[in-house]
This record gives sequence, structure tokens and C-alpha cells, in this order.
Amino acid sequence: MSIDWVTVLAQLANFLVLLWLLKRFLYRPILDGIDAREAEIAKRLAAAEQAQQEAKAAESQYVKQRAQLLSEQDALLEKALQTTEKQRDGLLADARSTLQQEQKDWRKHLEHERQAFNTRLQHNGAEALLKLTRKALHDLADESLEDAIVRHLGQQLPPIAAELRHAAAGSLEAQVSTRNPLPEATQVLLQTEVQQYLPDVLLSFATDPQQSPGLVMQVGGAQVAWTTDSYMDELAGLLAEDSTATASARLSSSGR
Amino acid sequence: MQLSPDQTVVFTLGNWPVNATIVNTWIVMALLVGISVLVTRNLRADQAPGRWRSALELIVTLIQGQIEEVTRSGARHVLYFAGTLFLFIALANLLTVIPGFAAPTSSLSTTVALTLAVLVAIPLFGIANGGVRQYLHKFIEPSIIMLPFNIIGEFSRGVSLAIRLYGNVMSGAVIAAILLSIAPFFFPVVMDMLGLLTGLIQAYIFAILATVYISSAMAEPPLNTSQKDK
Repeated sequence: MSIDWVTVLAQLANFLVLLWLLKRFLYRPILDGIDAREAEIAKRLAAAEQAQQEAKAAESQYVKQRAQLLSEQDALLEKALQTTEKQRDGLLADARSTLQQEQKDWRKHLEHERQAFNTRLQHNGAEALLKLTRKALHDLADESLEDAIVRHLGQQLPPIAAELRHAAAGSLEAQVSTRNPLPEATQVLLQTEVQQYLPDVLLSFATDPQQSPGLVMQVGGAQVAWTTDSYMDELAGLLAEDSTATASARLSSSGR
Repeated sequence: MQLSPDQTVVFTLGNWPVNATIVNTWIVMALLVGISVLVTRNLRADQAPGRWRSALELIVTLIQGQIEEVTRSGARHVLYFAGTLFLFIALANLLTVIPGFAAPTSSLSTTVALTLAVLVAIPLFGIANGGVRQYLHKFIEPSIIMLPFNIIGEFSRGVSLAIRLYGNVMSGAVIAAILLSIAPFFFPVVMDMLGLLTGLIQAYIFAILATVYISSAMAEPPLNTSQKDK
């Protein structure tokens, strides 16, 4: 065991050289690399943290906007519902009004139709009644309606003869108006009947197509009528009553 | 039987005989520096480290971690010094598995040189850290009477460092040589495996003791009672 001091010095120099070389080629590059990598990692972590914060902020903003949009959507929906409700009410009111107007028009039309039907029925009924009456008189009594009326006039004149004379007030003419021209024999018969109570009065005969079947006599300011108007009015009343009842029944059944 | 590679002259450089200790030291140095240069020549921070670079980073960070545990600080200069000691001794001891390679650390000259380096480094680190006055003040602590004992202690721990490393490595080589002559097929293998372990342990002990000595030199002096009262 001996110490070679030259070797000691050489080894000391070698160690110092090795120390410098390792510092230059090992420690510094490795440690600097680690430091740089750690700095890079820290930088990336900071960037990631920043990105995370931005993402959180964006998420928060998104949630806020979504809540706002949902709120606006609810408001718009509510508004749309209200508008729709309003429009529905308006349309229903219009429909009701239209329906009421149509019902009104329909009733008016129905009434018009009923009146026209009644008029037609009355006219046709009157015609049929007169025809049947004429036929019955002719078949059963071999007599015309006009003759029967004139004969009946003769029977009715005595109670009102005084009133007619007073009404005639000296007039010498009386006008007899019928719907159809009276036969000659009937005219003579009527003249005879009238001259029994009004001897100075002469009859003049006229026709009026608008007049009801029967006879109307105008003496001065007085007028005596024997027509079928009252019967026709009664017939019209019956028909009107019947048609009104039918129309009411129809309306009530359609209203259900 | 040669106990030290100092006695083996490999070649003569002028009038100066270059022995195996120096040549083997150069081989170890060349390996360390060569590997370092190859691994760190194209080092870039934005690239992921490869296998070799990761291995070197692992070794360096392990050494740094050990030093930080001892010194409680991450002084890079201590890492350069103690790390170089560890790497040199460890690689020199590991290369003893190569037949014919005599570890430079089995030379007392090498261990003395390393010890001298440590003995010089201790005051240098102490003075660099706290100044001359603080460093010298440690020799008279806790009393001026302790000055000769502290000086003797300073040198004796250097001598112990050198003798311990030399003795362990040299004895391992001697034992291996003796067993090689007795049972050449079995014992040398076992002893070489044991030598790898003891070589690493010796490198660790030498480096960690050097770090401890340097750390104690760099440590702040304890406050006395009057200073504490202030």
C-alpha cells in the first residue's frame, strides 16, 4: 500500500476534468432540459387552466343564454296562446254572428215561404171552395151561386131597407160589382128584388177581377157586401195557425 | 500479485510512466463523457425524451434527490461535485466485471486524490456559502479548546474516506484474485456479483459522505443564547 503522488495529482486533474466535462455535457443539458420541460408543462397547464376557465365561462354563458331563450320561448308561447285564444274567440263570435244571421235569414226566408205558401194555398183553397160550392149547389139544387146570393140578398134587404134609403139620399142609381159578370136573368132578378124596397133606384152592373166572389152593392154613401171574404179569412186563419205550429215544431227539432 | 494498478505501467509519455490507474480512469471518463455527449447532443425541450435520455434523467434526478435530502437544498454545484464522484466511482467499480480491468478506485492514489478533492471542496463550498469567517468559526465551536480536535477531525474523516473506499475495492479485487486461484469456476462469479453490489454501495457511501461534509460546512452556525435573546 503506497501512494504515488504523481498519480494522485494526475487523478486529481482527471477528476477535475471529468467534473467539468460532466457538468458541460451531462448535468447542465439534462437539468436544463428538465427545467425547460417543466416550464413547458407548467405553461401548458396554465394554458389548459385558462382554457378550462374559458370553457367554464362559455358554459356559464351558454347556460345563461339557454335559460334566457327558454324564458323568451315561454313568453312567446304564452303570447301566441293568448293571440290564438283571442283569434279563436273572435272567430267563434264571427261564426255565431254568421250563424245567427243565417238563422235569421233562414227564418225570414221560411216566413216568406210560409206566407207565399199560405197565400197560394188560400187562393187555391178559395178557388177550390168556390168551385166545390158551385158544384154542390149545381148538383144538389140545380142552382148557381150568384142566384143564391141574389136571393139571399133579397131576404136580407128588408131589415136594412130604411138605412139604405137614407144612405141613398135621393140617389137614383146603385152600382153592383161582382168578380165575374152576372147572367142576364140574375141581373133582372136582382133588379126586381132591389126595386121592392128601393123603387126609384136603377142598378148598374160592373165586374172587378180583384174582388172576392160574391156581390157588393154601392148605394150613395152606403155599401152592402155579400162575399166569401169572411170564409176566406177564416180559412186563412186556420191555415196560418197550422203552418205556424208546424214551423215551430221544425225549429225546435232543428235547434236540438 | 499486484495490489494496486499503480504498479502496472501501460506506456511511457516522455519520461512519465503512465500506469493502469490513469489509463483505466481515462477509459471510465471516456465512457461517461461519451455516453453523455451522445445522449444530450440533440437535446430539445419540445421533444419527448428517449430511452437513453430518460435513463440519464433518472440517474441525475435520483442523485439530485439524495443530495436534496441531505443538504435540504438543491444547490447545483454540490450535485456536480457529488454526482461526478458517484458516477466515476460507480462506473469504475462496475467495470471490474470485465476481466483484466483493474478499477482505478482500487488504487490508493485515486482514493487519496478523490479525498483531497473532497477536502478542498468542503472549505470552498463552506466559504462560498457563508464566507471565510463563518467557515473558520466552526473550528472553534463550541469552544476554542476544540480547535485542534476539529482540525484533526477534519483531516481524519478525509483519511477515513480514502482508506474505506480503497480498502473495500482493493480487498474485493484481492479476494476475487485469491478465489480465482483456488476455485476458478464458481467463486469468482459470486464474488464479482458481490463486487458489483459493494462497488455501488461504496460509490454511494463515498458520495453521500462527501455531501454530508459539504452540507455541514455550508450549514448556518447555531445561534448562541445571547443571540437567541435578541
